[in-house]
Amino acid sequence: MTKIATDLEMLMQQALAGDKRAYAELLRETALFLRPFLKQKLSAENEVDDLLQEILLSIHKVRHTYDGLRPYKPWAYAIAKYRLLDYLRVHYADRLRSAIDMSELENALQDNVTEYRISYESISGEIRKLPEKQALIMKMMHQEGYTAKEIAERIGMTENAVKVAAHRAYKALKHQLEE
Amino acid sequence: MDNIEQLIKSLTDDATTVRPAPHPFLLSFKWAFAAVVYLSLLLAVFGLRPDFLQAIENPWFVVEVLALLCIFVATLVTTSLLAFPDLHQKRAVAFAPVLMVSMFLVVIFFAWNADYPPASLPDHTYECTLCIILVSFLPAVWTFCSLRKLASVHYRLAGGLALLSATSVGALWLRLYEVNDSIIHVVEWHYLPMFVIGVIGIWLGEIILKW
Repeated sequence: MTKIATDLEMLMQQALAGDKRAYAELLRETALFLRPFLKQKLSAENEVDDLLQEILLSIHKVRHTYDGLRPYKPWAYAIAKYRLLDYLRVHYADRLRSAIDMSELENALQDNVTEYRISYESISGEIRKLPEKQALIMKMMHQEGYTAKEIAERIGMTENAVKVAAHRAYKALKHQLEE
Repeated sequence: MDNIEQLIKSLTDDATTVRPAPHPFLLSFKWAFAAVVYLSLLLAVFGLRPDFLQAIENPWFVVEVLALLCIFVATLVTTSLLAFPDLHQKRAVAFAPVLMVSMFLVVIFFAWNADYPPASLPDHTYECTLCIILVSFLPAVWTFCSLRKLASVHYRLAGGLALLSATSVGALWLRLYEVNDSIIHVVEWHYLPMFVIGVIGIWLGEIILKW
């Protein structure tokens, strides 16, 4: 382990002095020890490859911040972690952007959540096939005439959760009725 | 793996001799030297406060200036360490500003208590903050330019400490120039803005130092 570490520092010293062979060897070794680290953090192989390339580019770009005198691995890992965090930040920001905004959902549900379009009785068979909580909410809304707020108070859920459950129930019912 | 090999080949072809960046302590020494020259120039142009000899007889004034100097040195050293991705593997030294700022706050607390009966407040207020900002501008630009040539992975912290270090130069100059013994004024219009500007540096760091 110590020998490999010493080799890495030596390779970097030679690379900084302009030795291309040593530099290629160093980058290869770096890719080898960083790959398992990235595999632990990312599931897809192509993501690991992309990020590894980005990290190697970053190492190339900032290699002047390494003098070849201190251990190489902590320096390389610091850059790898920085790029990984950056990558995850962008990745999750994209996922958040594509997620449904709760307020939009509320607006969509506000008007029609307790509206009777089809009678409860006519689709009661389909409603019974829904998950227990959704079926109960449908029953209370459309048979007993409670509002989402009243249901929330009675069954110990938040009003938003009731609306979301109702929305899911409508989608499931629509799907069942279309079949 | 083929992509990686290709990339390694292109990076290797591109590789030339590289001169490593100076050691962070040498870097902070260069920054400190430049700041001392700048401060001396300012004091030569604007002069020391006329009651300087009388002021240094007050131990709390001396301790306050020394504590400010410690903040300047600590923030400077930590900023230079933060300019390297691995903090030049001197993580413990990077915490120095926490210690120095705590010490500074204790000094201010005692100086405030010792200011009895309180010294009269000067007529001016925000002008002091403006002076500090103006004087700190050059050191701030210089530090940020130097930092951009390196590679901080803690860019927000580096930005904040760089500005705190620059404003401490301004605050130090003003304390040596302005005839003022009111600790209330000094806290309100010198030191509080100094730390607020440090916080702004966190935002600036994200904009300027991210790579």
